[in-house]
Amino acid sequence: MNRILADLMAFGRQYLRSRIGAFFVFIFPILLILLFGAIFSQTGSSSVTVPVQDLDNSLMSRGFLSALNNTTVVKMSMISPTVDLQSYIKDNSLSVALLIPSGFQRQVLESMQANGTSQVNVTLYGDPSKSTLGQVEGVMEAVAEQMNFKLVGASRIINVDVRPVASSQYTYMDYFLPGIVGMTIMTSAMYSMTSICGEYRTRRYFKLLATTTLSKAEWLVSKILFYSLILIVSLVVTVGVGIAVWGVHITIDGMVIAFIVVGALLFTSLGMLFGTIVKDPESGVALANAIGFPMMFLSGSFWPVESMPSYLQTVAKVLPLTYVNEGLRDAMIFGNVESALVNLGVVAVLAALCFVVAAKLVSWKER
Amino acid sequence: MTIVIETQDLVKKYGDLFAVDRLTFDVKKGTVASLLGPNGAGKTTTVEILEGLRRPSDGRATVLGYDVTSEYGKIRKQVGVLPQDFEPFDRLTPTEAVAYWGRLFNRAVTKEDVRKLLADVSLSERAKVQGIHLSGGEKRKLGIAMSLVGEPELLFLDEPTTGLDPKARRDLWGLVHRVQKEGRTVVLTTHYLDEAEQLADDVGIMHHGKLVARGKPQDLVATHGAATTIILGGAGPAGLHEVTRRGIRAVLDHDDVLVRVSDPSEMRIVLAKLSSIEIDLKDMYTKRGTLEDVFLGLVGAKMEEGVLQE
Repeated sequence: MNRILADLMAFGRQYLRSRIGAFFVFIFPILLILLFGAIFSQTGSSSVTVPVQDLDNSLMSRGFLSALNNTTVVKMSMISPTVDLQSYIKDNSLSVALLIPSGFQRQVLESMQANGTSQVNVTLYGDPSKSTLGQVEGVMEAVAEQMNFKLVGASRIINVDVRPVASSQYTYMDYFLPGIVGMTIMTSAMYSMTSICGEYRTRRYFKLLATTTLSKAEWLVSKILFYSLILIVSLVVTVGVGIAVWGVHITIDGMVIAFIVVGALLFTSLGMLFGTIVKDPESGVALANAIGFPMMFLSGSFWPVESMPSYLQTVAKVLPLTYVNEGLRDAMIFGNVESALVNLGVVAVLAALCFVVAAKLVSWKER
Repeated sequence: MTIVIETQDLVKKYGDLFAVDRLTFDVKKGTVASLLGPNGAGKTTTVEILEGLRRPSDGRATVLGYDVTSEYGKIRKQVGVLPQDFEPFDRLTPTEAVAYWGRLFNRAVTKEDVRKLLADVSLSERAKVQGIHLSGGEKRKLGIAMSLVGEPELLFLDEPTTGLDPKARRDLWGLVHRVQKEGRTVVLTTHYLDEAEQLADDVGIMHHGKLVARGKPQDLVATHGAATTIILGGAGPAGLHEVTRRGIRAVLDHDDVLVRVSDPSEMRIVLAKLSSIEIDLKDMYTKRGTLEDVFLGLVGAKMEEGVLQE
């Protein structure tokens, strides 16, 4: 135990003094939280500006535009009725624009008198390759439908009540944060260990260590302890930023800590296993990237695995990070202890396997 | 005297190349044994087998009575090693590195122990500087301190003074003598002949993986080298012609004529003959035989700036 602690202290000093490791454990997840939070946390209230040419400028057309503005999803900006709209769209590279034709109010009234036998059109110009067109089209159809109901004195009978799966107070950021924690466990432990093995081989540190009484398993245990400790600190810092900036609502309990420790065991051992085939730090980084990047994206760190095509979901099932991410979400968001335990079990078995194989395969000696 | 290291027909092969070729030797407790030879002679491969870092292809070796291939774990804490390619940890200071290394040998190393060890290797002033900022010589000194921190019974020093300045080399020699006086055994590989002569009780000369000679430095000189050389400074080819014409064996070294006298009893006769010859000289002096002569005779190695060259 004394040797493990000695190695833990020495390794910790070097790791934290290098600053690169500290960046990936503490700064990188915070940057991701802030960046993704800025992109996604305002999704519900962001609005799309729609340039409008109102050639009718009537009570009816202004009422229609006012109803659109009230949705808060779209915001109208008026274009002079004297310009040619199609040229204006082209000259200003607009992805969407609305034309209310002259005589709009009169046609609506005529249609009402004829019991709706004729239709009145407003024209929505748009670029089909941009998502804003679909978003604006949906809002306009909903507003037009509501106006139609009002004009004929009807009301909606069937309504769709949308409820989030987790407690209603949870946001995208609550869902996202456990994925960032899972990703940090992988990048900190696996990337670092693969690269360290390359460095220890190139600079003959393994050979030097082989002259001491420290065993390979003890060396590996000290790394696992170190990564567990700094990842717990990283968890606290990341969640702290998430709460302070984005007001996330998540739970940190013994189960989450268990995932950090077992995850560190898994990815440290996996990194050492990859380290058996790398010859220098550069090839270590390349190998870790080649394996880590696809795993990061396919394991549900940033979006739900269920949103991916079925063949990629099959791939995700064989990636260890999937079980870490799902387990962390079970524990941190859903409070689903049973599912979290199953995921923890999968990660623990994989971790134990990787530890034994890594400690056996890694050679500190020269051929 | 107790045998600390013993090898029997030790072989290390890489493909068809014999890095170590049927090596048989032993090292006695409390001595300083030196493996001497030019680069590529097989010294480092041999000591790395003895340090348990390489597996021999054939033969047998024991260290402190244990087999190096199957029982090394039992003696790890009794052996200190300075590898030839030692590099310190970049982000640890010498103080931290030595304390860390001591704990890897299960030693409760105090701050005073660390301070004393660093003073012994003349590294006190750089004790708080991270490894990455140390010079080549300072790194070497740190490696020596780390090899000693476990208080080993047997110390392997592989090229310990490479990169050290003359004062640091002499300081290290003093340290090795102190270690020996404490009853510990030192195995030293070097390509500095003066280092082997100063430190070693027992010198093994290696060439192409084989042990070509072994013994005390003075015995090796007496057996394999010229006991004394008479140097006729500036005598040139004409001088060589005159000397050899009188039946005296000599060689030309640059512009000097060298006359080697193996048997001290012949010295007077040779000097008498030389004094009767009319030769233009700048000066004339004698030089006692050294290990360099042994090398010239045994393996054809040459010296360049005090270092053996193949």
